[in-house]
Amino acid sequence: MNPDRQPETVKAYLEALRRALKGAPAGLIADALADAEEHLDNEMRQNENRTEPEVLASVIETYGTPEEIAEEYRSMEASITSPFPKSEQPEERRFGFFNVLSDPRTYGALLYMLLSIVTGTFYFTWTVTGLSLSVGFFILIIGIPFALLFIGSVRVLSLIEGRIVEGLLGVRMPRRLPPATAAEETIGTKIKDALIDVRTWSSMLYLLLMLPLGVVYFTIAVTGIAVPLGIAGGAIYGLVTNDVSHVFRMDSATDYELSWFNHFVHTAPGLIVLALGGLIVFFIVLHVVRGIGWIHGRIAEALLVRL
Amino acid sequence: MVDESTYTRKFRKELMAGLSSLVLLAVLARAGREMYGYEIAKEVKAEGEGGLIFKQGAIYPVLRSLNALGLLESRVEASAFGPPRRYYSITDEGRRALAEWQFAWRDMREFVDDALKAGTGATYESRPSA
Repeated sequence: MNPDRQPETVKAYLEALRRALKGAPAGLIADALADAEEHLDNEMRQNENRTEPEVLASVIETYGTPEEIAEEYRSMEASITSPFPKSEQPEERRFGFFNVLSDPRTYGALLYMLLSIVTGTFYFTWTVTGLSLSVGFFILIIGIPFALLFIGSVRVLSLIEGRIVEGLLGVRMPRRLPPATAAEETIGTKIKDALIDVRTWSSMLYLLLMLPLGVVYFTIAVTGIAVPLGIAGGAIYGLVTNDVSHVFRMDSATDYELSWFNHFVHTAPGLIVLALGGLIVFFIVLHVVRGIGWIHGRIAEALLVRL
Repeated sequence: MVDESTYTRKFRKELMAGLSSLVLLAVLARAGREMYGYEIAKEVKAEGEGGLIFKQGAIYPVLRSLNALGLLESRVEASAFGPPRRYYSITDEGRRALAEWQFAWRDMREFVDDALKAGTGATYESRPSA
């Protein structure tokens, strides 16, 4: 390392650190720059009677060169990967029936299920349009570049979906695009490489699958949350106000045998049973949601991650 | 300052990887209050006989990872001039970890010391007496 070439201003130091961290996750770079800026600023204020290059020279001696610091952050990043650091708590606490309410995975999965109808629709439209245009254009001169562009967009979409899956479902997904095909390859081999790459096809399959899955997830999430909470809420409202006119009844003639049920749910014990039942179903739905999140994480891992 | 060989530097670095967490937890537990990175860096007297034992810059990523593990809490406070400061304080979980790590460190130190003593003894034995 040549000490003459070390940065002489805070700005230059931060710039050098940013360069040394090139390719690292943006969040990591931001952390490292914030820490270095805070430290250097404090050093400058402690040594106000000295010039900036003087202070920086001694600071690099004690704080470390940008390259050393970059290495420290990289090795730190390698040691923490899980977005759910709390998951080391004992198994029985994580899997207790009611603890589903305090598990961040539940809400991640719920948010993912609600979001999936939007992303699913977009992925499906994009993939179907891109695929059919690629096939249609193939006899034209723009066919090959268009197909390449489309395959590139599938990779970018897969990366974005991977980020969403990692953030909400806690499955470690690729944080960077797969390495671009070597520049010296001809367009023909690029296409061939992409066509024989299983990941290209499995990613497209995933993007297409996201529409039906998204519809199912969204429906389960909305009805699964609304119905039990509605039943429990209605029953509690009935108990508190003594007004049971809103509580459902089965009026049709064929359900006549169920009149005991109609009667039961209009009494106080019946309402309590309804409220408890609604809450229990709500918790079961939360378990189902967390389970779907887990299963979907596995699907995404199988189809999106390059082996 | 003695110029150390690359493998000695690597050895020091590997030793520090785990111990720096222990030292930082100890500093924050002793202080019993919030501290910001620069304060902590000055508090850790990292001067050894061979110069700096570890670079001050290396404590910041360790603080962040302890924070991510829940052993430290942090909050950011904007400052009137200069960049915002990140204050760290030890959590209850951090104190528990510190107690366990201190125990582990004593165990480890005894084990290493014993091994080194046995080692030096053996070399003295095998050395031909003048």
